[in-house]
Amino acid sequence: MYITRKSLSRRTLLRGLGAGIALPLLDAMVPALAQSRAAGSPVRLAWFYLPNGIDMRHWTPASDGPLPAELPKILAPLAPHRSEFNVLSNLTAHWGRPLLVGAGDHGRALAAYMTGMEVNQDVTDLRSGVSADQVAANAIGHLTRLPSIELGLEEARMAGNCDNGYSCAYVYNVSWRTPSHPLPPMADPRLAFERLFGTDAGLSPEARQTRFAMRNSILDHVIDDTESLTRRLGSGDRRKLDEYLTSIREVEQQVTRAATDGMMIDPGIDKPFGVPADFGDYYRLMTDMLLIAFRADITRISTMMVGREGSTRAYPEIGVADGHHPLTHHRGNMEMLDKVTKINVYHAALFAEFVEKLGATEDGDSTLLDSSLIVYGGGLSDGNNHAHDQLPTLLVGRGGGAQLPGRHLMYQRETPITNLFTSMVESVGVRPEYIGDSTGRLSGLG
Amino acid sequence: MRPAIAIAGLAAIAAGVTTLVAVNRAGDSGARAARAMLDHYCIDCHNSLDFAGDIDFTALDPQAINEALAVWETAVRKLRAGEMPPPGARPEESTAQAAAHAELATLAAWLDDSVGASYAALPPDPGRITARRLNRTEYENTIRDLLGVDFVASDEFPADDTVLGFDNNAEVLTVSPTLMRQYLTAAEKIAARAVGGSPLPAQSGFFSRNDRIRNIDANSIELTEVLDYDAEYLLQVQLVGNRGANDPPVRLVVSVDGEPVLEAEVPVQKSQVNIQGGATQRSQYETRVFLTAARHTIRADFVDDPFVETLAPGDYRNNNRNIFPDVIQIAGPYPAADPPPVRKPILSCDPDTGRTCVEAILSDLVYRAFRRPVTADEIAPFLAIYDEARMRELTARQSLQYAIAGVLVSPHFLFRREADPAPGTHASITDFELATRLSYFLWSSMPDRELLALAGDGELQDEATIRAQVTRMLNDPKAEALSEHFVGQWLETRSLDAISRDRERYPEWNEELARAMAMETKLFFAAVLAEDRPISDFIDGPYTFVNGLLAGHYGIDGVEGESFRRVELTTDERSGIFTQASVLTVTSYPNRTSVVLRGKYLLDNVLAAPPPGPPADVPGLDEAAVGTETSLREQMEVHRTNPTCASCHVRMDPLGFGLENYDATGKWRTLDGSFPIDSSGELPNGRHFDGPAELKTVLRENLPDFAGGLAEKLMTYALGRGVESVYDRKVLRDIVEATIADGYRLEAMMAAIATSVPFRERSGAPQD
Repeated sequence: MYITRKSLSRRTLLRGLGAGIALPLLDAMVPALAQSRAAGSPVRLAWFYLPNGIDMRHWTPASDGPLPAELPKILAPLAPHRSEFNVLSNLTAHWGRPLLVGAGDHGRALAAYMTGMEVNQDVTDLRSGVSADQVAANAIGHLTRLPSIELGLEEARMAGNCDNGYSCAYVYNVSWRTPSHPLPPMADPRLAFERLFGTDAGLSPEARQTRFAMRNSILDHVIDDTESLTRRLGSGDRRKLDEYLTSIREVEQQVTRAATDGMMIDPGIDKPFGVPADFGDYYRLMTDMLLIAFRADITRISTMMVGREGSTRAYPEIGVADGHHPLTHHRGNMEMLDKVTKINVYHAALFAEFVEKLGATEDGDSTLLDSSLIVYGGGLSDGNNHAHDQLPTLLVGRGGGAQLPGRHLMYQRETPITNLFTSMVESVGVRPEYIGDSTGRLSGLG
Repeated sequence: MRPAIAIAGLAAIAAGVTTLVAVNRAGDSGARAARAMLDHYCIDCHNSLDFAGDIDFTALDPQAINEALAVWETAVRKLRAGEMPPPGARPEESTAQAAAHAELATLAAWLDDSVGASYAALPPDPGRITARRLNRTEYENTIRDLLGVDFVASDEFPADDTVLGFDNNAEVLTVSPTLMRQYLTAAEKIAARAVGGSPLPAQSGFFSRNDRIRNIDANSIELTEVLDYDAEYLLQVQLVGNRGANDPPVRLVVSVDGEPVLEAEVPVQKSQVNIQGGATQRSQYETRVFLTAARHTIRADFVDDPFVETLAPGDYRNNNRNIFPDVIQIAGPYPAADPPPVRKPILSCDPDTGRTCVEAILSDLVYRAFRRPVTADEIAPFLAIYDEARMRELTARQSLQYAIAGVLVSPHFLFRREADPAPGTHASITDFELATRLSYFLWSSMPDRELLALAGDGELQDEATIRAQVTRMLNDPKAEALSEHFVGQWLETRSLDAISRDRERYPEWNEELARAMAMETKLFFAAVLAEDRPISDFIDGPYTFVNGLLAGHYGIDGVEGESFRRVELTTDERSGIFTQASVLTVTSYPNRTSVVLRGKYLLDNVLAAPPPGPPADVPGLDEAAVGTETSLREQMEVHRTNPTCASCHVRMDPLGFGLENYDATGKWRTLDGSFPIDSSGELPNGRHFDGPAELKTVLRENLPDFAGGLAEKLMTYALGRGVESVYDRKVLRDIVEATIADGYRLEAMMAAIATSVPFRERSGAPQD
């Protein structure tokens, strides 16, 4: 028997499934929450991105209509929650396709997924679109401490790993704030923790106020200085400094908001250090933080990269020693296909735990699951041939009534997946004319 | 005119040299002869209809070489490598073949000469580099050199995007709101470490990261952490497991940065409790020590412990057979009863003595942080922050901390920005800008006081001074940044700390081995620089650097222990960088080798001839079946029979096969599964080799190409932009030529880059 030091400490993960998730210190925030909840629980949006495609034979239920008790192999772990999600079939991400360009399917699959826009094949000149989550964040982000949070389970290591002339940025980032500006997912648990819950725990209220005031003073001085600097610059440098200025102004707003909203956040788990060695523990840790962030209304919008597109992660936890991406180019080899499905089932089982926790977490008069709309899917179906249509898509939760779950909905082939995203964004009160290549709203959800 | 032969790679070219002169003298007749040869050999495929490789030689005029320099340059390379015309398009009969060979060599020489002449006539165009944010590495090193503070930027900031192989590309080094937030947090933390004015936090406890613990060997572990406060910390070492009932006790030594802080005699038998309960036996030893706010390495060793030699390596960390140090944890910070004074490099005077001292500290700090002279107006905002903090009744030290935090989030600190010449013109960058470019190129850090002083005196622009500074800087320990970050990205060995291997297939694989692999390559590069060696050493230098672990992996006797030492290599198994375990591992999959990945790697990094990506919808090979059902070579034959695959794979696969004697961890082997390894190959030009040693002979024949490729990577890294313009190509040729003329010395190449026009000058914005 071998001892490893990977066991997590007592307060590292949320406990208490079934009897409701215990979030002891959130009560301290109730006044603040009550304010924002005057009009009922807000809807939370999340996207869980699955890389490298899915063997759809083990995903798609045989017929449309109510979901049967026995689901296809990959969705089987979610069977206990089948009344809490819809399976949406036949959606397409058109701009992931090769069209006239050729190879580079993984780069396009991810960058086009939530933007619905053409992805510029280049390593430096990034251009796609604004992703659906950011369309929502731009409109309602100011209501919460953070406009959105981007999480991931793979540190963005880029050396030598781009896709046929497509920048590495395309395979790592699903969230795009502007067509040229991706929002990299945070994969370090501690950084995600500090981003969500701050770095000022343990300070007295007076010391906190002084720190906030000094922070604002620093930012004011730097903003003034930068404004006078940018007036003197040429175009390329000015673009850079303008981005810097936008960022620092946003930070200033966050600092001001944190200073005035009176929330002392203790998330109820210890600040994590390092990445857990076991993928399952890692997944649970990151999704627990997301759950707490949603519960405490720190943000209402999130993306979660379960793996970057083209991920080569091996899963020794479940006996898969080969990299995920090479396995998906299985050419029909049964052994490889089985391993890919094993990975997909493992992901689904971990996601099912998250769904269960959401369902066990109170949120106003209902549960967090009732207030959420969560996409679980990806921008490729058949990873072997890089198919960008008939995408694997679940929509989980009720979105405060936006979705009536428990069904398999089959849409007309080639329906843009951005139609779904447009509907989701609408459920948080944003009414964009379109998102990327969307042609309307997705019917039949409610 | 540049002698074309200087750049001639293949020996075969010698045949063409005499005719070259004749052709050149002929002037236009040379162009006519070239036209005739293109029409004869090339336009069957490279025409407007077939458009092979997107090239149409019917539309390109050899009399106007300067209109398509890149195309002609590629043509020269393909001709000389024997890749073009392809085998099917050459005569089969041997005398005709020889005649064609000579004719094509003449064509290549004439084209190369004309390309060179066109380049020489180009007006200078140094190019523009957008204002660039310090990347993670640069930030960390700059903080070290500016404030004397240890900071782990990779813990605090997301990885920077990699473009063209490097993470210092100016275009993409931008600031997002998330990163800005992290900069602010980091600035507060760093300023606190620099000044030491913050009170200890109210809460304290265990905070160290278990995933940072290194299992050095059977009886040693090590943990490196950066601490935030000058304070006392609790160090706890946990031991796990037990030995036999009659085994003697062992001596545990816990040390910090090499200084012992705890020694104990440890019983190794199973305790009574564990005999009854059967639980895993754990025990812990603790001590409390004062540590400064800096990086510290804590180590736990069993010393003089011959017992482990009786164990099989697989049992070193088996808690039923052995007791071993398993965990080091740090808790704190705790107030010290009688804290020793801690010197803070930034505090040249005591801030408590008054504002004059604070002004002096900030003036010097801002000057160095902005890497240029600053005006009183530029220092004023930071003094204002200090004054405001003082008004809020913070101490002088705490107030100074906020002022320093302000400096660290200023765009003048975070961005390297250069003044623009007038639109449509170009000019030398300033001395201070040059000092900054040099230091971030060679040190990934800010200029030191010597560089700043030279810049202040206006003496840096002189070419001899630049060369002297390059030599000085490369001999400075800070030049380690180059072997760490340039090499780590050029050779992709940086990914060794993130990749894994199938433990069943490669039981010897562990993090320490991966670490040793990366270290070997880093030390090798550093040695080529330090010992003024030629770049051909990268291909076949018969020496390397190993520690005990790596020596065992290689089957080299007589090297033991953790530290690395130089060994001379006497067999054909290994030499140079491309048969080092690091490279062989990063070009493999977790559970098998890949001739495709390795072949592509050699094309990219040695022959400077990267193949295009695979066309869409091409099925992968069933490489998983290799070693079980079929031999790899049989599998790969598919590449030859399918013409779509063949066009690139005839170049890639043979090179990869040449490295098949190394498994996916770089270990030497003669069998793959049950099949004997066949590491022979034949390149498109007919050149045959058998085994890695002969492969290297082939690679060495392409030394000019290797030099060109390496120079391009170094330029990309030095400038933080792609080497893309026509003028850039000219500069590259000049750098390669200068390097060749200087015996292929690596340092000569570095100096040629640092004195080149794109490195020393800047273009203004394009004119409207």
